[in-house]
Amino acid sequence: MAVEPSQDTLNGQGSSLRAVVSMLVGNKMPPLPQQPAMGFFTDTSLCIGCKACEVACKQWNQLPASDPGWTGSSYDNTGQLSATTWRHVQFIEHIGRREDGQNGYSGVRSDISGQIAQAKKDNVIPLIPPGTALPFFNTDRWLMQSDVCKHCANAPCLEACPTGAIIRTEFDTVYVQQDICNGCGYCVVACPFGVIARDERGTHTARKCTLCYDRMKDGIEPACAKACPTDSIQFGEVAKLKAHARERLGILHERGVKEARLYGVDDDILDGGLNSFFLLLDEPEVYNLPANPQRPSNNVVPASLWTILAAMVLGLFGIIFFRE
Amino acid sequence: MYRRCTISWLQPQPHSEHSPNATTWGEKHDVPSNVQSQQTLQEYIDACGQKLGWWSNTPAYIRSLLQAWYGDAANEEDGNCSYRLIPKMIGDHSHLVTSYAMLDGKVKGYLLFGQNPAAGSTNARMQRKALEQLDWMVVRDLYEVESAAFWYKQPGFGPETEPVDSSKIKTEIFLLPAAASTEKEGSFTNTQRMLQWRDKAVDPPGDARSDLWFVYHLGKRLKELYADSKEWRNRGLQSLTWDYQMEKPEEGSRIHDEPDALLVLKEINGYYVRPPDQAGKGSSQTYTLRNAPHIPSYTVLMNDGRTACGSWIYSGVYPEPGNNRAASRNPEGRTFPQWGFAWPANRRILYNRASADPQGHPWSERKKYVWWDEAEKKWTGYDVPDFPLNKPPDFTPGPGAVGMDAHSGSDPFIMKPDGKGWLFAPKGLKDGPLPTHYEAAESPVHNALYHQQSNPAAKYFRDRADNRLAAIGDSNYPIVITTYRLTEHHVSGPMTRWMPWLNALQPSLFAEISPELASERKIRHGDWVIINTPRGEIEARAMVTRRMRPLHVSGRVVHQIGLPFHWGFQGKSKGSITNDLAHMVLEPNVSIEEAKAFTCNIRPGRMP
Repeated sequence: MAVEPSQDTLNGQGSSLRAVVSMLVGNKMPPLPQQPAMGFFTDTSLCIGCKACEVACKQWNQLPASDPGWTGSSYDNTGQLSATTWRHVQFIEHIGRREDGQNGYSGVRSDISGQIAQAKKDNVIPLIPPGTALPFFNTDRWLMQSDVCKHCANAPCLEACPTGAIIRTEFDTVYVQQDICNGCGYCVVACPFGVIARDERGTHTARKCTLCYDRMKDGIEPACAKACPTDSIQFGEVAKLKAHARERLGILHERGVKEARLYGVDDDILDGGLNSFFLLLDEPEVYNLPANPQRPSNNVVPASLWTILAAMVLGLFGIIFFRE
Repeated sequence: MYRRCTISWLQPQPHSEHSPNATTWGEKHDVPSNVQSQQTLQEYIDACGQKLGWWSNTPAYIRSLLQAWYGDAANEEDGNCSYRLIPKMIGDHSHLVTSYAMLDGKVKGYLLFGQNPAAGSTNARMQRKALEQLDWMVVRDLYEVESAAFWYKQPGFGPETEPVDSSKIKTEIFLLPAAASTEKEGSFTNTQRMLQWRDKAVDPPGDARSDLWFVYHLGKRLKELYADSKEWRNRGLQSLTWDYQMEKPEEGSRIHDEPDALLVLKEINGYYVRPPDQAGKGSSQTYTLRNAPHIPSYTVLMNDGRTACGSWIYSGVYPEPGNNRAASRNPEGRTFPQWGFAWPANRRILYNRASADPQGHPWSERKKYVWWDEAEKKWTGYDVPDFPLNKPPDFTPGPGAVGMDAHSGSDPFIMKPDGKGWLFAPKGLKDGPLPTHYEAAESPVHNALYHQQSNPAAKYFRDRADNRLAAIGDSNYPIVITTYRLTEHHVSGPMTRWMPWLNALQPSLFAEISPELASERKIRHGDWVIINTPRGEIEARAMVTRRMRPLHVSGRVVHQIGLPFHWGFQGKSKGSITNDLAHMVLEPNVSIEEAKAFTCNIRPGRMP
C-alpha cells in the first residue's frame, strides 16, 4: 500500500447513528455522503506470487477454503475467482524456446527439438500445458497477477441486477447486499470478467470482492493490500492511484520494460474505466483478461429496436395478409 | 556450457576421471571433527578467546555468563568458577550427527521442540529408525506431527500410511501441546540479527503451554527432584539460578504459573550483581535478578563476578526497567534504528567502519553510512559505529599492544585478531583457507577443475548402510534432483498442512520436470511418477514445465528435477516425504546437510 487515502476520506461519518435515527423516525435512510472513489491498483510487475492476498482475503472475510485439488496449472491451484475466492493469483509461465548459444545454454534444445515434436505428436506432453502460454512467446518470465473484482465505473453486474441487491457504495465501489440478493444469477452472466459467482454451497446468493467495505468504513485498507509484501496491490483514491499508475508506467518504459501497459485506467474500457485496474507486462489476453470487454446493457437499445422493427414488420404482414 | 579453461593446471586430470578408485567423495578423506579439550575455564578461554581484537573480552563474557547461570556458586569454585558445572562437549553434537548416535542406541531420551525430523530432516527414513531406538521422547508441537506418530504409522506408499507393529518400538512418546506464536509472549530473532518482541494475544487452548512455561517448570521439578542429592554431578542443577516466577499472574489469563518472559530477557541483557562503584568481592551488597540494576551494554561486563549476563551479544536489549528495545516500534530514520533491536549494540550493519575509506571519509557520498567526524573527534553516521568511538583513522598500535589497542584506526574487522577482512582464512574454516568448486557428494559428473571430486572435509557417513551414495555418473541414478520450499507451506508442514486455506493453495507433492525429460521417460503432465535414490523411493505428480531445463555438462545432457519437501503422512494434506530420498552428508563447519543437490531416477507410475 503506497498511496494514502486522504484523512477525511475514510472516517465513519457517524453513519450508524444516522441509521438508528432513521429507523426510529421510520424514515427511508438518506444516502450516505459521497466519498472519493476508492479502488485497487494491482501492479503485476511487482507481484512475487506469494498468495498472501488470497489468504488474507479469505481470513478477513471468513471465506471457506476451496476443495484442495492439484490442478497442475503451474503453481496455481485456485484456478479462478469464485463466490468464495475474491483474490486469485495467476501464474503464467512465459518460457520460450531457446536458440543455439543463448544464455550460455548451447545446442541441447535444438538437438532434441525433434523429440519434442514427436512427443507432442504422441500426446506425451500437452501442446499447451494448462495455465501456460508457452508456445507463443520467446522471453522467459513467470508472470504473476493477483486478479480481483474490477469495481467497474459502469458495472454490468449492477445493471443486470433485477432486485437492486447490487449497489454502488459511497466509495464508488460495487457491493452485493446479501440480504437482498435472491440468487437469480443474472449478474453472473453479465460480468465480462467472470468475477461474480453464486455461492452454490452456502448462501446461494451472488458474492464477490467488497473492497473490504467494512474495513473502509473504519478507515483501514483492504486485507489483501495490507498483506501484500511488495506493494503489488495498492489501495487508495482512484484518481490518485491512476496518476500513480501512469507514473509507474512511465518509469517502467524508461527502464526498457516496453511491454508494460495499463489495463482499465482509461475511460474507454467498459464505457468509463475500472476502479480496480492493473499494470500488465503483456497483452491482456495472456492474463485471461478481455481486451475489449462488453457491457450487455449496450445491447438493450439495438435489441429493442430490432424487436420493435420485427414486431412492426410482423404487424404489417398481418395487416396485409389477414385483412379479411 | 562448460568450456575448457585455458589455464593448464585447471584442466581435469585424466586419472581423476578414470581412476578405478575414484569415489564420489574423492580420494582424500574427511577429517574427524576435532573438539578441543575445554575441561577448565582457562582452556575454554584459550580456545575461544583471542589476545588481539574484540575477543580479548572473552573472560568477562564467560565469567558473567557463569554468574547469571549459577549465581553465588560461580564464586565458590576458585579459579574455575562454576565452569565445572557445565556439561562439556565430547564430540560432534550437531543435530544430524546425534541422529546417528541415536540409531546406535547411544541416546536415551529426546526433547523435540517444534522440530519434525521424521519428515523434515534429510534421510528421513533413517531419522525415523533412529527415533525408534530411544527410550523416551517428548514432542512439543501444535499438532500430532510425523515425529510423534511414527510409532503407530509409517508412510506406506505415497500418501497412504501403513500400520506399524508398535510392540516392536520401544520409544515411549509424550506429545505435549504447545502454544502458538500468538498465544505466548517473547522475542524472536531473525537472520538480520534483529530481535522483535511478540505480545500474547490470547490464552493457548486447553493444556497447551508456551515453551518457556515447559522449560521453566521442567527445571523447577528437576531441581526439586535432586535437591537433596549429594552427588557431584547434580551440583549444576542444584546451583542453577532458576527464578522467573511472575510477581502476579497475568490479568485475565487462566494460566497462573506462566513465567515472566521479561525477567528472562533481563538475565539475557545482563545486570549488576554488586553496585557498579563497589570494587572486588569484599563488597557486602549483592543483588538478585529481580532487584538488580540492568547493565546498559556488554561494554561494562567484568570478569570478577560483579556483573551477570546470559548472552553478551544480546546485551543492551533491555538497558533499563521499562525499556524493552525489542518491543520498540518506531519506523522512523534511515536505518530504522528504533524498530526492534539488532544485536550487537543495535548495530544494523556489522563492521560498518568499512563504509569509510582508511582516512575515515565515506567511499561514496551517496552511499555514506559511518564516517569519522574530524571536528568532534569521533565516529558517527546513520548506524551505531562498529568501532571504538574515539579511535582516529590514523591511530597506529604501539609495539606489543594487545586487545583492541592492537588494531590500527583503519582496521574495521574488529572481531578478527588482525582487524582485517579475510578472503584467505588461515584458521577457523575447516575447508579453508580459500573457497573452491567441489562437485556435490552425489554427482553425475567428475569435478572438471580438480582431482578432488567433492569436499574432503565434509561428513559423509559412508560406512552407514542407510546412507548409501550413488557413485559418480552411476547410470542407475543419472538425474540431478534438488529440493526446495513453496511459499504456502513451512518446512515439513507441521504448522501449515493442518490449515485448509493453505492446503487448498498447495495440496499435493509434485515433481517439476522438463518437457525433454518427460518425453524421454514417457511421462505426461499430471501423471504420477516414482522417484528413487539409494536411500528410498517416493511418488509425486509430474509437473512438466519449461522452467526446468536440461543442462549440457561435460559433453552430455544432464536432466534435473525439483521437488518441494513439505509433505508427510500426518495432517490434512498428505503426501510422500521428499526427505526420504535425501542422503545425509554434512558440510564440515556447521553440519548443514547437502539436500540441494543429489542424484535420482524417475519413472512413470504409482507405488504398489
